[in-house]
Amino acid sequence: ARVRVRGSGAAMAALLEHESQIFLELFHRDGLVVCARGLGIDRLLLRFLRLYCEPASLVLVLNTSPAEEEYFIDQLRSDGVVHLPRRVTNEIANNTRYEFYTQGGVIFATSRILVVDFLTDRIPANLITGILVYKAHRIIESCQEAFILRLYRQKNKQGFIKAFTDNAVAFNTGFCHVERVMKNLFVGKLYLWPRFHIAVHSFLEKHKPEVVEIHVAMTPAMLAIQTAILDILNACLKELKRYNPALEVEDLSLENAIAKPFDKTIRHYLDPLWHQLGAKTKSLVQDLKILRTLLLYLTQYDCVTFLNLLESLKASEKAFGENSGWLFLDSSTSMFVNARARVYRIADEKLNQKGKGSGSEKRDVKKENELKRELVLESNPKWEALREVLKEIENENKNSDNLGGPGQVLICASDDRACAQLREYIITGAEAFLTRLYNKTFGKDEKAAEVWIKDRKAMKSKGNAKPDTGPQAKKAKLTASSKQNKQKKQQDRTLIQMIGKTEEEKREEVEVEDNKELSSSQEGNIEEIIPEDFDFSLPSDCYYGIFKDPLTIIHPLQGCGDPYALTRVLHEVEPRYVVLYDAELTFVRQLEIYKASRPGKPLRYFLIYGGSTEEQRYLTALRKEKEAFEKLIREKASMVVPEEREGRDETNLDLLRDARPASASADTRKAGGQEQKGVQQTIIVDMREFRSELPSLIHRRGIDIEPVTLEVGDYILTPDICVERKSISDLIGSLNNGRLYAQCVAMCRYYKRPVLLIEFDPNKSFSLIPRGSLQPEISSNDVTSKLTLLTLHFPKLRILWCPSPHATAEVFEELKQNHPQPDAETAMAVTADSEILPDSDKYNPGPQDFLLKMPGVNAKNCRALMTHVKSIAELVMLSKDELAKILGNAANATQLFDFIHLTYAEALAKGKSKR
Amino acid sequence: PSQRGNPVLRFIRNVPWEFGDVGPDFVLGTSSCALFLSLRYHHLHPGYIHERLRALGRSFGLQVLLLQVDVRDPQQSLKDLAKVCLLTDCTLLLAWSPEEAGRYLETFKSYEQKPPDLLKERVEQDFLSRVTDCLTSVKSVNRTDALSLLGTFGSLAAVVGASREDLSLCPGVGPQKVR
Repeated sequence: ARVRVRGSGAAMAALLEHESQIFLELFHRDGLVVCARGLGIDRLLLRFLRLYCEPASLVLVLNTSPAEEEYFIDQLRSDGVVHLPRRVTNEIANNTRYEFYTQGGVIFATSRILVVDFLTDRIPANLITGILVYKAHRIIESCQEAFILRLYRQKNKQGFIKAFTDNAVAFNTGFCHVERVMKNLFVGKLYLWPRFHIAVHSFLEKHKPEVVEIHVAMTPAMLAIQTAILDILNACLKELKRYNPALEVEDLSLENAIAKPFDKTIRHYLDPLWHQLGAKTKSLVQDLKILRTLLLYLTQYDCVTFLNLLESLKASEKAFGENSGWLFLDSSTSMFVNARARVYRIADEKLNQKGKGSGSEKRDVKKENELKRELVLESNPKWEALREVLKEIENENKNSDNLGGPGQVLICASDDRACAQLREYIITGAEAFLTRLYNKTFGKDEKAAEVWIKDRKAMKSKGNAKPDTGPQAKKAKLTASSKQNKQKKQQDRTLIQMIGKTEEEKREEVEVEDNKELSSSQEGNIEEIIPEDFDFSLPSDCYYGIFKDPLTIIHPLQGCGDPYALTRVLHEVEPRYVVLYDAELTFVRQLEIYKASRPGKPLRYFLIYGGSTEEQRYLTALRKEKEAFEKLIREKASMVVPEEREGRDETNLDLLRDARPASASADTRKAGGQEQKGVQQTIIVDMREFRSELPSLIHRRGIDIEPVTLEVGDYILTPDICVERKSISDLIGSLNNGRLYAQCVAMCRYYKRPVLLIEFDPNKSFSLIPRGSLQPEISSNDVTSKLTLLTLHFPKLRILWCPSPHATAEVFEELKQNHPQPDAETAMAVTADSEILPDSDKYNPGPQDFLLKMPGVNAKNCRALMTHVKSIAELVMLSKDELAKILGNAANATQLFDFIHLTYAEALAKGKSKR
Repeated sequence: PSQRGNPVLRFIRNVPWEFGDVGPDFVLGTSSCALFLSLRYHHLHPGYIHERLRALGRSFGLQVLLLQVDVRDPQQSLKDLAKVCLLTDCTLLLAWSPEEAGRYLETFKSYEQKPPDLLKERVEQDFLSRVTDCLTSVKSVNRTDALSLLGTFGSLAAVVGASREDLSLCPGVGPQKVR
């Protein structure tokens, strides 16, 4: 507990110089803050949250994920804030929500709930102190958050809007992106805080942590592989350009291809015309993806994993018979050769190839051609480097009494898998680890291969010479493993003394600082090395002198559920040494801030670069952000911000959705839109529809929205027109499972003009079926066939085809012209009971449905039945003969009669006997 | 007759067709017909389709306007046509190629007599699920209600014949039994 308090205390300590500057600026004037990655945007938001955590104010926070909310609340709690932020979820009932809001404080709310609450006046809009928007780069025009902000500004002119983001690169896409975002946010001021901002720079310069960069050279084999992959990547890119000359070329450079978001860029370019691309291009894109993974695996993981991936790629290639071309390039063969060479060598060369660093191990494997292999198992050079670093820290810790005891070590790698590997490496050493991995992956394969060979033999009944391969191999394995054990012990003594020491010491420390251990394990995010493991993995003679020594923690940089796990760990462990196994921009910055927030305490971090591509990736990320900021600065300089942008007076054109002043809309809504009928357009929208962006767009066009739970239809435009909205995937799904049919039945029954709206995704192509996939025969499974059938059975049903929600909103508006407004009461009532009916049907539809569901009754004889029989009760009284007369078919009659008169008990008995 | 030379005809392969002197472009069945329009043509002669629709009146139960989208930016005219269709009781269908248009036409013909079972939820064939399905089609009766009704009354006949008082004795069934 002690550590916890100290750690969070540090987090909430006074803001750094530049941070308080941002804070003050933003406090005085609303705006959008764009901060460099990792430069403490969360600390800033936290600061604001703390400011408003009191019942007197009501502040909404938009766009946070549950994990982030959890983190903020936690931080505030440990900081002793009494009035903690609360969350609005659907667990809080509709009618209690108003009170909930009026209690004040900071509230995290789901957007969907907020939209509805704003529309129904369930939230006291005029009492809101302000809104904080996190991750503001996501606010585009049609999203719900923008809708909320618009509603808020319409009703509340005084409150503030402050927006935060640390993703500058996101603003780099598209034309005037930042300006549009600001427009949606209703803020007039843009604050840019790049890393190279003078205040930030000079401040961080003062508290510079000690940085040691270690460049690890790759082994020749790795280098060869890397060149091969790059060659292939380049070839693929060229090919891609050749096939699609229309593509923008500048982004498709090799440098970009290495960088992380390349997949996204390429999707961005290709998605709109995806359906037009040939199979060749698609497979090229796929190949690029695979190659990028390969490149990552090369430096990230060990040789065995890499080879495994490569082999499986090849195997799948063979299995599916699709050749993507690159496997046949010269470079790829060299890649395969080298990858194999990293794992094993042909036995003949074994003597001269034995390296002392990568102490090798013999293991004979029988193959069909009696090829002898020897495991070489080249270990990853980064591991060596890591060991060096740890050793250095070790030495330093020995004579670090003047620094107040040894410092903690934090090792950061990119993902879970890398962490697990590193951990095992540190505990058991390179050899043991690699061998185990090898046995696991390839041992299995060999066994499988043998089985397969045997099978084939049996089938072909060729009496070949190897009936005893299985046992032999097993023997070989046994001897190998025993040998391996011996060797391992020796190695453990010699090679891993140092590491073993660390582990042991760690155990000591763990005992000493028990409570610390507890608190961190409760967090559940830390990959703690459990002390019990050591006893198994280390021989007992590796026990060395004890001195208080570092707690070493390995933590993944990504792939963790909680985005703040790393931050937490950082503040809890308070490491003096940080080893960045994989360099990552955000975390480096975070470290700088961390250092700066605790002046006087030494911090040193090591960066390990795995080789040219990895370094390249890091540098590209750095450059990208810098460019993005430079662009933003230029844009800011030339930006014209209209006076009324903030929407505090009546002149903002965005807020005026209509000719009507915005303030009047609140009044009409309170009265349910009744009084101004004919003037104010209203559309009744189903509650569940607020997940889509359409309601927001409709509202924007100056049409009022009434959120209501509808049983029939999604939108009611006029008393006659009822619309069921279906996206393409929805359409196909509901055509298949029969839901659409039921919905159409209901709509046709209650409304004069039922409409099916088919809405396409604006980012995809506007067409129902992809080009070239039309089958020559009519099949009942096609969407088109089902749609045809639907129109045949519902001649009253109209279909609207809309390429985007914007178009839909437009069509809605035009459809509503010169029509009376729908009434929410009737819309709801219409679904609740079946009494209010259009007179088009001669018969009551309820019983009609009832009849049709019965066996022996179909659409044709249903009419006859209804004209003859007054009610269901009467039908039940009829005898079998009478039924036959009416239905005109004895078989049907029997079916129906049996159905009616079969008792429940009998049915149960029957059902049981069936089971 | 006006459709002579329409490329769509080449793609109507699965059903027989012939030229005849009819009002609409295609007569698909006794109660359904279709007009064919290509958007490119519509842009050249915007008045054409209105005339055709007026001439057609409301003589068929199902009137389909089959629209072939063959221009780059169809949004505006699509909107207008959607409105027109809504006013003239036409069902709008979009096709993106003559193949697709032909497919729609032949499907209309060949599915003319097909029951809508394909679109409906699959109902299992055994008695119990059919009875529950039957009963749940009545408003305010859900699946559990249906089962409890059956359990108390024994058979469907008895359920239907039961009086209002009897029914309201059943758990979960209030006085909303209207039949």
